Amino acid sequence: MLATLAQAVINGLLIGGIYALVSIGVTLIFGVVKIVNFAQGEFVMIGMYISFFLASSFGVDPLLSLLISMPTLFAVGVLVQHFLIRRVLALGDMPQIFLTFALSLLLMNVALLLFTANYRTVQTAYSELSFHIGPLYFAVAKLIAFVIAMLLSLVLYLFLHGTDMGKAMRAAAQNREVAMLMGINPDRVFCVAVGVALALAGAAGSLLMPFYPAYPLVGQVFVLMAFVAVVLGTLGNITGALIASLMMGVAESLGVQFVGADSGLIVVFVMLLLTLALRPNGLFGGWAR
Amino acid sequence: MKSALFIRPWFSTAALAAAALVLPLVIADRFALDICIRVLLFAFIGVAWNLMGGYAKQLSLGHAAFFGLGAYTSTILLIRFGISPWIGILAGGVVAMLASLPIGALCFRLRGPYFAIATIATAQVLMLLFLKFRDFAWGAEGTTLPNLGDAPLMMQFESRAGYYYLALALLALGLVITYRIERSWMGFYLVAVGEDEDAAEAIGVDTTKIKRQIYMISAFLTALGGTFYVEYIYFIDPNTAFSFNVSVEAALVSIVGGIGTLWGPVVGTVLLEATSALLQSWFGSGHGGVQLTVYSLILIAVILWRPSGLIGLFTELYQRFTYAGATQAKEVPLDG
Amino acid sequence: MAEALVIRNISKRFGGLRAVQDLSFSVRDGETVALIGPNGAGKTTSFNLITGYYRPDAGSISAFGRELVGLRPHEICDHGLARTFQVARPFGKMTVLANVMTGAFLRNKSLDIARSRARAAIEFVGLSAKEHSPARELTTIDQRRLEMARALATEPRLLLLDEVMAGLNHAEIDQAVALIGNLSKRGLAIVIVEHVMRAIMAVARHIVVLDHGQKIAEGSPKEVIANQEVIRAYLGTGYRHEVPAGGAAC
Repeated sequence: MLATLAQAVINGLLIGGIYALVSIGVTLIFGVVKIVNFAQGEFVMIGMYISFFLASSFGVDPLLSLLISMPTLFAVGVLVQHFLIRRVLALGDMPQIFLTFALSLLLMNVALLLFTANYRTVQTAYSELSFHIGPLYFAVAKLIAFVIAMLLSLVLYLFLHGTDMGKAMRAAAQNREVAMLMGINPDRVFCVAVGVALALAGAAGSLLMPFYPAYPLVGQVFVLMAFVAVVLGTLGNITGALIASLMMGVAESLGVQFVGADSGLIVVFVMLLLTLALRPNGLFGGWAR
Repeated sequence: MKSALFIRPWFSTAALAAAALVLPLVIADRFALDICIRVLLFAFIGVAWNLMGGYAKQLSLGHAAFFGLGAYTSTILLIRFGISPWIGILAGGVVAMLASLPIGALCFRLRGPYFAIATIATAQVLMLLFLKFRDFAWGAEGTTLPNLGDAPLMMQFESRAGYYYLALALLALGLVITYRIERSWMGFYLVAVGEDEDAAEAIGVDTTKIKRQIYMISAFLTALGGTFYVEYIYFIDPNTAFSFNVSVEAALVSIVGGIGTLWGPVVGTVLLEATSALLQSWFGSGHGGVQLTVYSLILIAVILWRPSGLIGLFTELYQRFTYAGATQAKEVPLDG
Repeated sequence: MAEALVIRNISKRFGGLRAVQDLSFSVRDGETVALIGPNGAGKTTSFNLITGYYRPDAGSISAFGRELVGLRPHEICDHGLARTFQVARPFGKMTVLANVMTGAFLRNKSLDIARSRARAAIEFVGLSAKEHSPARELTTIDQRRLEMARALATEPRLLLLDEVMAGLNHAEIDQAVALIGNLSKRGLAIVIVEHVMRAIMAVARHIVVLDHGQKIAEGSPKEVIANQEVIRAYLGTGYRHEVPAGGAAC
């Protein structure tokens, strides 16, 4: 019984690492650019398809394809910010919500047209591999994904606190006007923020390929988790998003283990509704609107 | 300022109404009439959404929750208790109205995009619940509605014209309600809340109460649309009743047509359904992604170039050709 | 001699920052009181506490005999307190008239009555010519006038004005002073947050000085400007102010 519980927690943590990459991206964009990226899941999807095609056409291992998917999605992020998001920043909530929402619809449906709804998978040497520590088993592919996800989070943290650009982003997140007065170019900062967030989404996609199928609507599942984690972890708080994502992963896993196979979504929604009812400002407070 | 074509606003509305009333007598083609009925229905759903999302800027993406509640309430009353959908449609509205209270209490704690996400979540929760409820709600397979032939008292009409007039009546109801609200203190309060909630509070607007009230009205109307829909297609299941596409379309038609305006949702629906019909005739119904791809491109284009909606274009044209501008004696919130 | 507003020992913290500490003062019916102090002293926070946007951690606020702590802003407005914001917040989409009518609806839901009351308020602040202009097209100063008209339309008994004179030139300040004087003659109690000394001297009977969230001085204008604590708060130590024999003017 305890072993089952521990196993569920472990499984939850491992997938939670992926959720973290997605939700950190959402909360980063929200904190710096102050908009909610409804399309974040679709960029995970794009990352997955990039890795899929590199693997099936050139035999590139998905983990290696990180080197391609991340920079590609960074560039996409810069373009999206510069040509799309920038235009609606001054317009208020409604255009901002519906722009990224429309982008999400667009990407999903273009993918549907180009790739069809078929599931695409990649088999690697380690896709089926696992090892045991006592009664607990660890799927290698998921473990690698988790480790890399945590490493990327650490790199992001160092970037935000150690580099000039990172500090500029944090400054812009805290107070845009003052940051501008200090000579920080908001457009450049926003481009980097969106680029980084989308690169993280792409990374999530590549890391998922060894054990998860790619299909046009795959982003929807992850973005939902990410949004709940972002709210739970307090809007704009990156550490909060990380912790909340791990919690979401564990909650989902426990739900699947003890309630039923299709309870994952219900667990997510229950957590969202509980958060709204009890702590609308998230676990880490602040940001009262 | 008179212009060459001296047409008063009420005249054009009357002309439009007359044309709408005569339409089924002129169009015999079943598919064309079907499209018209869909346009009327989704314009109505859009008008219902617009009250909340357009005027008060509470951007819900979960209105399918009320659509589905209306649909299921009337269907359950019909099939389990033999109650006529004419009563069921009202019951469905009341159920949705009551549901909007706890849903609003939860969701209004968040603002902007997070409110939208919370509404998506509530619609999804309802869908999941109804997928599970086998006992009195038929679970995932749903059910077909009994075909009673020509039974107007049970909201079933032999010819499409019956459904057409019902949908037209619903749209007219929605438009009249919007018109009356727009020109009353409530309209001003709604726009104030949509513009700046804190400033509205400072001048005595009970923002919580107003949001709750408009949510109830919006939910009620949307539920009426839900009942109509299942009566029209003789089928209900959770995926259809609580479909995210319904939520999206409700918001989309208002945004494309003109958010926060009386005729915006109608304009938007006509445009989007016309596009949809064109796409169907070019590509057939095989290519699943085409319609939504085009919809999303239209939406992006509108947001980037005409965020207040396309109705602005039409209004400009309209005002050039009619006497509309100078006869507005009453103060309307959005224009002087 | 009724009390329009009584504030007793209110405090408010934001995390580690003590924005307002143990503040007490009162405003008599029909009186004009100025709340002054360096930036960050807690003046706007006090307004937000009084009007219900923040809840004080301790203390009580009562107006016209009723306790305000715990009430929502719209209830406080209904009770007779209206405020303007430091940065004007008009309903941009609406016209000037529509903006003010929205305020007037608090007292009467009839369209015609609200319209005429709104027009009266608009005339009072001098915006009649721009009645049908969309609010977002107004100049900053006209937006402030609009803000005041909108607040007046709610028929307040106590008006809280937050830095309405910022950025005005001499003539405009005189106009604003006259306006406030007129409001006072009508019986309104007024609390103004201001930095423009000339205006404060002209309208305020009583001044409360804040610094770092605490009241450091209180009294008539003459008393306050001679107060060493006040001088030190604004100008730092090492400055001695000599009051000219003929009375104060800045």
